[in-house]
Amino acid sequence: MAATSAASAGGSVRSGGVAKRIDVKDLNIYYGSFLAVKDVTMTVQPNKVTALIGSSGCGKSTFLRSLNRMHELISGTRVEGSVTLDGQDIYAPAADPVRVRQQIGMVFQSPNPFPTMSIYDNTAAGLKLNSKRMKKEQMDNVVEKALRGAHLWDEVKDRLDKPGAGLSGGQQQRLCIARATAVEPDVLLMDEPCSALDPIATLAIEELIEELKRKYTIVIVTHNMQQAARASDITGFFNIVQSGDPGVLIELDSTEKIFSNPTLKETEDYVSGRFG
Amino acid sequence: MADNPMPPMASEPPTPGTGPAEDFASGGSRIPAWGPWAVIAGTALVLAGFLSLIGFNIALLAVGTVLVSIFIVYLWARKAEGRRQGFDRAITLGIGSLFALAMVPLVSLLYTVVSEGLSRMDPEFFSSSMRNVIGEGGGVLHAAVGTLIITGLATIAAVPIGIMAAVYLHEYGKGRLKRWLTFFVDVMTGIPSIVAGLFAFALFALIFGPGIRLGVMGSVALTVLMIPIVVRSTEEMLRVVPDGLREASFALGVSKWRTVAKVVLPTAMAGIVTGVMLAIARVIGETAPLLITTGAFSSVNLNPFDGRMANLPVFTYTQYKFPGVPPEPFIERAWGAALVLIIIVMVLFLAARLVSRRYGIELRK
Amino acid sequence: MSQIPASSKLRREYHEELNRLEEQALTGFDLVIRSLDRTVEAVENQDIELAGMVVKDDQQVDARYLEVHQGLITLLATQSPVATDLRLIAALLHVIKNIERMAAQCVNICKVIPLTGHEPPIDPRMIDRIVTMGRQARILVVQARRSFVDRDVDMALNLATLDDEIDICNRECFSLAIEIGDDPDRREWAMTMLLAARAIERIGDNCVDVGEQVVFVVTGLFREYADTSDLPV
Repeated sequence: MAATSAASAGGSVRSGGVAKRIDVKDLNIYYGSFLAVKDVTMTVQPNKVTALIGSSGCGKSTFLRSLNRMHELISGTRVEGSVTLDGQDIYAPAADPVRVRQQIGMVFQSPNPFPTMSIYDNTAAGLKLNSKRMKKEQMDNVVEKALRGAHLWDEVKDRLDKPGAGLSGGQQQRLCIARATAVEPDVLLMDEPCSALDPIATLAIEELIEELKRKYTIVIVTHNMQQAARASDITGFFNIVQSGDPGVLIELDSTEKIFSNPTLKETEDYVSGRFG
Repeated sequence: MADNPMPPMASEPPTPGTGPAEDFASGGSRIPAWGPWAVIAGTALVLAGFLSLIGFNIALLAVGTVLVSIFIVYLWARKAEGRRQGFDRAITLGIGSLFALAMVPLVSLLYTVVSEGLSRMDPEFFSSSMRNVIGEGGGVLHAAVGTLIITGLATIAAVPIGIMAAVYLHEYGKGRLKRWLTFFVDVMTGIPSIVAGLFAFALFALIFGPGIRLGVMGSVALTVLMIPIVVRSTEEMLRVVPDGLREASFALGVSKWRTVAKVVLPTAMAGIVTGVMLAIARVIGETAPLLITTGAFSSVNLNPFDGRMANLPVFTYTQYKFPGVPPEPFIERAWGAALVLIIIVMVLFLAARLVSRRYGIELRK
Repeated sequence: MSQIPASSKLRREYHEELNRLEEQALTGFDLVIRSLDRTVEAVENQDIELAGMVVKDDQQVDARYLEVHQGLITLLATQSPVATDLRLIAALLHVIKNIERMAAQCVNICKVIPLTGHEPPIDPRMIDRIVTMGRQARILVVQARRSFVDRDVDMALNLATLDDEIDICNRECFSLAIEIGDDPDRREWAMTMLLAARAIERIGDNCVDVGEQVVFVVTGLFREYADTSDLPV
């Protein structure tokens, strides 16, 4: 794993910060003895937005969480197969999940800023919680950069010390994105980031994603097909045959192809709403 | 009384534009707000008059008033507002009466303690101990100080242990160990206070012999009683912290212990502090364990490791149980001490609410 | 699991509406065939009344065009169609235009017939060519319709070949007109007939366009087939 280097004068947290690719090979995810996701092989392209679509319960969220080992928070889960970040196996015996998550960040469906912290502290949380030693000036730079990157700076620059929970839903989610990007991960995972937001806030986040992909590799799980069509470059369709079966990656292709001329009938049926 | 948002009297001719609202009207006029009260008052008066003839009995008066009032209000409301409202009002009246009944012991208690203890709310009471006092005079300084020291020590011991145990149980525990620990905590919540006292007594008696009486022994007993309360309430507070916060922290690449220490605990802190204050309030008045561990003492003793230490509950007991001649000063002091104890508990409760309101974070969405 | 159930009423209604619009659009072809038949007959017999009927009935085609167009736009706005549905809607928008154009070409022909007067100095060779073209165009229209209904790519590609014959006839008409043009009495009539030939040639091209749309719906690829030289080997 790339070591987090000392902060440079510009206030960045790590050297490099080049978006990386994730290669998944024959990934199987188990909850205890239940196989939730089966035999997924795919590549997440760097500096692109990959959207994962499919109906509820088809394993796309489980799969997303396995990309930064967040599924391990539920006891009894295990994986078979490999997930590598630019060649480094994140499931290697020597790999520390905590370090993995510093490189592969995540934004969740319900905005969850830390209620006891101010906006400033929330943004810097990834650094402060890990007790990163940093001069105030550098920290200020990191926070400003992250908030600007999340299109939130202008709205909150005068109240950085106010609690993070005092913002609107859309603003809170952008704060969470700022928090995630402040540690300059290589990949950003987003689990239905707009589900809890109104259309205007959703649009703001989608615009943000469009810009973020210049710096980061992004994977987004979404229930909303139109959002996948609008906001992603590559789309992967997950499906299960019936309840109790494992989720499988049916088709992965450019978004344009998936929504104008998908290869498999199963995909076609799903995106145009024909079932049975 | 129950508030039904209904249109005005139907005895008025319907004005244009009120047509649809008529569909919702159940007809009839509303009972005025003072109506039920008037019924209660009237019934009480009548019954009182009646009972004064045959033999006044307050219980009979109360029960009779309630039953008759319920009946009358039901009929009146049923006629005026409708069957459902009638039933509604009757039930409301019934529940209100039960509530009043439940309040009676509390109010009676407070009234008694305040009225009896008020006589000794003088400066001397708070500034002197019972040192060299035979009959009149004296105060609770030694007892109050003793209670604060004993309970303070217990808090210092119980809170870290309790919080740590709760953190372990909620954040880390799994499987058999967790189940066993939870079980033991549950058992501990049920320990009678005298048993906790006996435990402390036996512990020290083993080391120092049976005659030993120390302030710290009382603290040990109270600690045993406090720990399960702190564990339970802290666990509850930890449960209220949304998992989303923990997830967010983990997703940033923060380790578990840091997440607990810097995210979960601060978020739950107001609730935990409130829980601690309530635990203190709960044990501060325990008499039985202190009776056999701390003993009684007439002077101020600031050293919990050196001999007997007075405290409010034991003081109250001994003053009441072993009055001298004349007994009045002793009884007065007992009531005074009891009042002081109640005041301390009240203050703790108020402080807990203030902390909760000021620092508490609205977590339940 | 919240799959949209196969029996979802909303989705069924959407697809039923799409099918209905397709059918409605395709009946436009029938209207074109009727117009074309009458137009050819009117040219053959220089029948001014019949020509007038064709012109009058054209409003049916226009009405249909507007109706189907509106329906398709509504579907686009409310259903966010993707994949095949989207390609079909896009194709239908093109095809109804093609149909409207073909009907308009018939009208154009029928409008010039009265201009030639009641006893025009006809040249039977010219008339013959034009009638041949008209009949060939009819075959094209029928096949265009069929290829769309059946989603038959080969049939669609074949339209370009069939259209070649119309183009050949059109060139012959052109040569004939030049020859006839020497005669000042028949010159005007020849020019008029040339316009008619040109209109039929346009009908043929519109049918080839329909074929391109068929290929697009089926394969997702769009390629122009201006003439047979563009066809894939």
